[in-house]
Parts: sequence; structure tokens; C-alpha cells
Amino acid sequence: MAEKRIVLGNCGAIDPQDIESYLRNGGFKAYQKARKMKPKAIVEEIKKSGLTGRGGAGFPCGLKWELARNTKAKTKYLICNADEGEVGTFKDKYLLSHDPFGLIEGICIAGLAIGAQQAFIYLRAEYHFLYDPLCRNVAQAKEKGFLKHLDIKVFEGAGAYICGEESALMNSIEGQRGESRYKPPYPPQRGLWNMPTIINNVETLMNIPRIIDKGAGWFSAMGTGRSRGTKVFSVSGDVARPGVYELEMGSPLKELVVNLAGAEDIKALQVGGATGNIIPGYMMDTPLSHETFLGSGAVVVFNSTRDIIDIVYNDMRFLSEESCGKCTPCREGTEVMLEILGRLQQGDGRERDISTLEELARVMAAASLCGLGQAAAVPVLDALKYFYNEFMDRVDQSHFLRSYLGGEFNQSKEAVR
Amino acid sequence: MSAAGKGTLSSTGNRAELLALLKQELGKNGSLSKTVLTSLADKTGLPLNEIYGVSTFYAYLPVAAAGKNIIRVCGCLPCDLKDAQGVIGSIKKELGIEPGQTTADARFSLEQVGCIGACDQAPAMMINDTVYGNLTPAKIAEILKSFK
Amino acid sequence: MANVRLSIDGKSIKVRDGTTILEAAEACGITIPTFCHIKGLLPTGVCRVCVVEVKGSKTLMGACHTPVAEGMIVSTHTPRVVAARKVIVELMLTGHTGDCVNDTNAENCVLHNLASDYQVGAPRFNVKAPRFYPAEESNPYVRRDLSKCVLCRKCVKACHEIARKDVLSVGYRGFKSKVVTGFDEALNTEACRDCGICIEHCPTGAMSAAPGFKARKGGAVR
Repeated sequence: MAEKRIVLGNCGAIDPQDIESYLRNGGFKAYQKARKMKPKAIVEEIKKSGLTGRGGAGFPCGLKWELARNTKAKTKYLICNADEGEVGTFKDKYLLSHDPFGLIEGICIAGLAIGAQQAFIYLRAEYHFLYDPLCRNVAQAKEKGFLKHLDIKVFEGAGAYICGEESALMNSIEGQRGESRYKPPYPPQRGLWNMPTIINNVETLMNIPRIIDKGAGWFSAMGTGRSRGTKVFSVSGDVARPGVYELEMGSPLKELVVNLAGAEDIKALQVGGATGNIIPGYMMDTPLSHETFLGSGAVVVFNSTRDIIDIVYNDMRFLSEESCGKCTPCREGTEVMLEILGRLQQGDGRERDISTLEELARVMAAASLCGLGQAAAVPVLDALKYFYNEFMDRVDQSHFLRSYLGGEFNQSKEAVR
Repeated sequence: MSAAGKGTLSSTGNRAELLALLKQELGKNGSLSKTVLTSLADKTGLPLNEIYGVSTFYAYLPVAAAGKNIIRVCGCLPCDLKDAQGVIGSIKKELGIEPGQTTADARFSLEQVGCIGACDQAPAMMINDTVYGNLTPAKIAEILKSFK
Repeated sequence: MANVRLSIDGKSIKVRDGTTILEAAEACGITIPTFCHIKGLLPTGVCRVCVVEVKGSKTLMGACHTPVAEGMIVSTHTPRVVAARKVIVELMLTGHTGDCVNDTNAENCVLHNLASDYQVGAPRFNVKAPRFYPAEESNPYVRRDLSKCVLCRKCVKACHEIARKDVLSVGYRGFKSKVVTGFDEALNTEACRDCGICIEHCPTGAMSAAPGFKARKGGAVR
């Protein structure tokens, strides 16, 4: 099964800075077709296609649009989430660099569908080098008359992973701290400045013109279950050919990681980013889909020299630094987990550390305000599930060190509580 | 109702422009010092504590004095696997600073940051707005020398 | 204004559309513990103490901010809820690093009382670098001991929405979040009008009246 470069189709084949190049390649034909459709019909087509969010959450796109359509308000907003802060994810950077007009066309059609007058492209600060080019792309589209119904503004973030979470993203655009909001209300009901808002990932929006052009049936014929179409993956880590690859949903992990990216020695992989599942190397036949493992489509490969505790420690350090800090379970819980993992790393674990991690994981998953806190412990739980012995080795090592070194080691390391 | 609560719920006006204004001030002044934020508070009518609260949330809006060039080395897994700590070590060798520090001549500040989206070129770093990937000690030395 | 029917702990109740689970529970005599909530103001939703089970939801929902829905089935004290509350209180105690043992006001500490209600003892958890701050005693009216702060934001909310001053904000991010004033300085007397509203609402004693000064009772300065 070879790569299926559909969303990536224009990348490398057109000049990303020249709208004429995009137009010659069939660009904005889907937009012209959409303009002749009733907005409700556009929504129906997207619903029928089965397109789900490509940023990580995987929510049905058409359903989300329908909610926004059905909410009565004089102003509606569309936001393209180009914050791409998820660890190991760089596909949106690639898409923005090589086919920005593809995104703009998707935004235009989405705007028609939901009745938005204002759109934002929330671009992460780390991609600042794309800011001016994107503004130029928007200006060209405007010049050609494609933005009569919709104004597109490029809004730059300021360095906060949590701003990839849609409620934090909206707060950021509003000039607030990028903290998460409690839900409900959900953005399609009340979002940016309390108005109905749709937030879609770059890749999700870039699927729109193709679905309108070729039809929902064409799209839903690819993929499996509730994971239709293709997915653009970012592969990195212990692989010979790191990069961006596009495969039909449901393709086996092996196809992506071994055949395309050239991995040879695979102990484990993390799929979906810092809160993504950790999978042992023997599960390479697993299909990649929402039903199994997917997230943002980031795949990081670890060879047999890698230590599983180092891996989950790195993820937890990132998450605790990026936690917005608003809610107790995430703000305190990630830091407590980090302390435990840090001690395990240093060979200073305790038997009860494992049960503490599991207990905290349950509470964080149940009570955190947003996905960061809710999913923070996923890698830890997976690592415990598949690599329990490595954890227990560290705990045993600590016992050994304590009894061997005794005295000073016990005094400095033993917790009072 | 916005759970964040504070500030005006208006798509126009000073609150909506705050992040852009802060970036502008940062570009003009090199850092968001108390003087800079106080004048921004006067200009926008927003309280100083509110502006400080927003600035300090974001990694790219530093309120502390920083070097002329900010080096951000990614420490997340894809880069960590490719020896991000070695990159930090090389920078320490060249400039004598560790993450969180600024060189004596204020030419460089160093930070360890989260994923910058250059995972296929790991290990990677940013200096100001430019990404440098596939780093080696020799490359790092060369890159740093190119900054005046 | 439609009437919404729901069930809380088996009790059936009809309330107005827009009512929160917390309000609905109160209306039928069920008390859900809260911590960061200030009655009468919009919910903050940060402490997560008031989480409850709602049938059909994978996660627990904050009662203070979740509006009721037709046919909603709420359980406020299941083993899962109680277990979560205990850990949440324990996590707050972990961040509450003040010298409460020596503090005569400690028995009034809402956090300690909540911990006692839920039989939560000294926390089992550690963090690498606890949020310890030296006490701020330069302001003649307000003493700030931020080591005791558990970031419930009641002071921020009270200052902004009751006192109508905007002296306090949350600064920094994540674990290092802090209630700040000015450019993260000591509470200065020009900005702070000593109304005492923050002290009144602080549940942990992080904000207290400076020794020798009794804050005006309920005096919001308008």
C-alpha cells in the first residue's frame, strides 16, 4: 500500500506564493461549486463524507458545522487552528509552506457553510516565518475576489502549547491568558466573543475543497469505520526517513513506520503527541484510525536503546510546563507525577509510586478542565501496561541502592510522609 | 459567558489587540520591562497587573531582560532522542551559558523549549525566528559565530 | 424560561433553563461542596471540588458551571466522585505550603475544614519545587502569604467583580501560576483600597488582615 497523497497533492507541484499557479492546478473550482450550493447542502455533503477533525480530537466536522449553522447569531467566526504544538507534529507546517491556497480555499468554503463573516488563522509563534507569506496569500485571494463574503486575518500566537486547545485558543485571540474554558458552552454555541465559532485544524480544512469537488462518496470510500479519507502523518525519532506522509485511514502502522519511514529497530512508538498512546513494537500491524491510535498523526519511534521511563518523563515535563495552571488536577497533578517519574528515573522509586500514578491518572482524567490534564497520564498508563517490568526494575533498583548504600542515601532520599 | 471573565467581550478595542500590542512593544524595546508595560497600561486603560498576567503566560512575551538573540533549543522527545542535551552542551561550550541564562555581553539568551515542529530535522533550535535543524557541534559553532 | 426536569441523587426536580447543577441541587436540599465558587457571581470552575457524575458523560462535570439539561441524571456522592474529591483536596494541600501549624487562624482555614470533612490527612504527594514565597507584610492593611495560596482565584474575582478594583490578576503559567499585583510586586497602597473583600473571600489565609488592622467588614469601595 503506497502513500496516497491527496491533501498533500499540490505540495511540490505548485508555487505556494503564486495564486495563478494554484488556479492553473484547478484551484478554487470547488469554491465556485460551493458558491452555487445552498450552505445547508455544503454542510450535508461534509456530514455525509464522514470527515473528522485532523488535529487530534477527531470530532465529526459536518456535525460541528451544523451546530454552528443552527445557532442564531448575527456574527459567526471560523478559526483555522494552525497552532500545531503537539510533540512530533509538523504536517501543518509542511501544508502551510507548500499549499497555503489549499487552506484558504477550504476556509472560504467553510465560511459559506456556516455563515461566518470573519475567519482567523491562528498561527503559532514558532512558525513566524510563515506569517508574512500567509498574509500575502490572503491578499492575493482577496485580490482575486474570493474573499467577498469572508475576511481572513492571520493571528499569531505567543508560545503556548495549550493554545492549540480550542477554548484556550479563543481566549488567546480575545487578548486573555490562553487558559481553557469550562464546557458547556461549546464553541459552535458560544465561542469567540460569545459568538458561534468553528475551530478546524489546517488539514481538516484542506480536505474540504476535495470533498466538494469529488463528492462525499469518493471520500468515504476510503478509510474505515468512523475514520474516513486519508490522514497526513508526521514521523520522527529512530527512523531513517523522518517526514510527512499521507496514507488512507486504517493503514497499518507498519506501512507508515517501516515501509515509508524506514524504521528497523522498534521497541515502542508514541502515536498522537505528548498525551498520545505508547505502543510496543510488536503491535505494528495495528491499523491507524480514531478507533485505535491516531491523535494528531504524530508518530515518534523509539529503538531498543531507549528507556521507557525517560520517554514518559520527557512527555510529563513538557505537559507540566505547558499546563495552563487553571485547574487543580492538572496544575498540581502533572507536577506530582513529574516528581514521581523523576525519582524513578534517578533510581529512587517506591512500591507505592505505581499505585499513586494510577490513582492520580484516574482523577486527572475524570476531573481536569480540558484534554491536556485529562490525557496527561495516558503515556504513563500505557508504559505501565506494556513495560511494567521496566518500572519495577527501577523500584527494585531503588531498594537495592538503599540497602547497599544505606545511611546517607536513606537520609537524603527518604520522604518524611 | 466567557469563563476567563475579565476584560471587555469585544472584538474591537484594546483587549483584542493586546497580544499584537505586546509583540510590537517587544520588537521596539527588546523586553517587556515594567516601564514598557506601565506605558502600555496607560495607553490601553488596562491595569498593569492584567497586562503582566497576560505577558507572563506566554513564552514569547518575556518580561525579563533578554539577550539580543534568543536561542530556543527544543527538548521534546524527537529532539531529545537526537541529543538535544548535546546541543545545549555545545552552546554552553561556545557561549558559556545554560538554559535560563544570558551572555555577559547580552548577545544571546538560551532557553530550552517544547516542540517547535522541526522534528524531522532533529535536533533543532530556533534563534529568533529562524529554525536550525540537523545540528552538530560544528554547525552550532558556525551558526553562533554568524550572529554579531 | 422553559422548565427543565432532571434527577439529582434520585430526587426529581424541575428548574429554569440555565440553572446550574449546583443551584438545582441546592433547590432540592442537596449540598455539593464548593471551594472556588462565590455565590452570586459567575462560576470560576477551577478548583474542581464540586465535580459530580452525570450519566452519559465520560468525565465528571463541575456542578458550579454545568447547566442542567432535560433528563439529566446527576449523582453527587458516588464512590468515584468522593475518591476524586479526596485526591483534589489532597492536591490542593500539596500546594498549600504555609506554616499553618503555627497559625492561630488555621482552624478557620476552609481548606483544612474541607480536608477534615473528606478525611484527607497530610498529602502523600511531593513536588520538586513547592510554591514557597516569603510572606508580604509591607502593606498596612493586607498580609499576603502566598505559600498558602491554592490558586482558587477568589481574591481575583472578588477584587474585580465585587470591589470593582482590578488590583489582582493571575500571572505566569501552570504550576508556577501566582496571584500578582502590578508588575508582580508587593500589594501597593495606592492601588489597594483596603476594602478587605479579598481577605473576606480567601479560603486559606493567604490573604489576611495585617496584624493590628481589622479589615472593614463588607465594605466594598465604590
